[in-house]
Amino acid sequence: MREKRGPWYLLTGLLIGFTLGLIYAWAIQPVEYIDTAPSSLRADFKDQYRAVIAAAYLANSDLVRARARLVLLGDEDTFRAVAEQAQRQLAEGDKVEEARALGILAIDMGQGVPGAALTRTPQATSGIPSQASPQPALLSTDAPPTGSTAQPTTNNTPTASPFPTSMPVSPTITQTGFSLVRQEEVCTSPLQAPLIIVDVKDAAGTPLAGVLIIVTWDSGEERFYTGLKPEKGMGYADFTLTAGLVYTLRLGESGTPVYGLSAVECQDAQGNRYWGAWILEFVQL
Amino acid sequence: MLAIAVGVGLGLFYGWVIRPVEYVDTSPNTLRIDYKSDYVLMVAEAYQAEGNLDKAIQRLTFLGEASLVDLVYKTMVFAETIGYTDTDLAKMQNLLSDLKAYSLLQETPAP
Repeated sequence: MREKRGPWYLLTGLLIGFTLGLIYAWAIQPVEYIDTAPSSLRADFKDQYRAVIAAAYLANSDLVRARARLVLLGDEDTFRAVAEQAQRQLAEGDKVEEARALGILAIDMGQGVPGAALTRTPQATSGIPSQASPQPALLSTDAPPTGSTAQPTTNNTPTASPFPTSMPVSPTITQTGFSLVRQEEVCTSPLQAPLIIVDVKDAAGTPLAGVLIIVTWDSGEERFYTGLKPEKGMGYADFTLTAGLVYTLRLGESGTPVYGLSAVECQDAQGNRYWGAWILEFVQL
Repeated sequence: MLAIAVGVGLGLFYGWVIRPVEYVDTSPNTLRIDYKSDYVLMVAEAYQAEGNLDKAIQRLTFLGEASLVDLVYKTMVFAETIGYTDTDLAKMQNLLSDLKAYSLLQETPAP
């Protein structure tokens, strides 16, 4: 006599089979990604990749190629990603050269043109993309950079000249010849921490990126550049102060020091205390 | 048995096609050869300017290959195949030559 089985047997079988299938597909033989794109890299690997892009950019002055390579990393805002990494590495202080390269790349991207005139020695080709510049259409995240150098050359114009082995320590924009036109404590809006805000412009009033700022205090020193927070302006830079310390700031190695900068404490009408900022505005003479 | 077989099929379909394991934090050794080639070119460009082989080696190590000479050679062959310019190939060749020389130096026993 044949036993009558209900639909539960079928369902149980399906369930067991489904589970076995999932175990096989997810654990035993998962999909293998062996030909990945840079956009899938882990964040710290992306940082390293970005640093090498910046190092290559320092060498070839090819902003088009650098931008195309950055696109491969899939950042929502490539410019911001570079600027933030430069800031982060400057703050960490362990990879100064990388930070510098990233900073220069960020500044040049912000200016829209290669910053050879600002940052390079005369041997560099001043920002003319090389014959081998990648074509952006070929360098989307979907299309790998296989065509990046595949453009037939119509002539053999050499690309960037070799740079000297020792790169300049800082951007070569002149660090002297700036005049402090405004030094003021401001309490307009409460800040989470006391700041020094620096704004640097040229004689025509155009914000200047890439100007070295050196802040020193009793037990330390920090160097950073204008233009690394492009959303606040290419001539902008800020520095967070520690309450109780007194700081000196200068533009470049030989700039005139601004002494006696300490945390600005403000008070509103209700007597609530909050942090304010020093505003220092410099104009190139 | 038939139900289990169908279930396995559904499970595999779900696990491989509909919702496969996602790799969002991959490591550089999984990069496709064309990306690796461009990366090696970047290192070669920087090396030509900096002249610092240690740094170039450190950057190449990022790709996680056992032999850096093989890596550069392999990517250079690929780059040649897909038509990198002579200028770029020369930079990669320069890096390859210096890497080979360095490797030989490392292998040579001290007198």
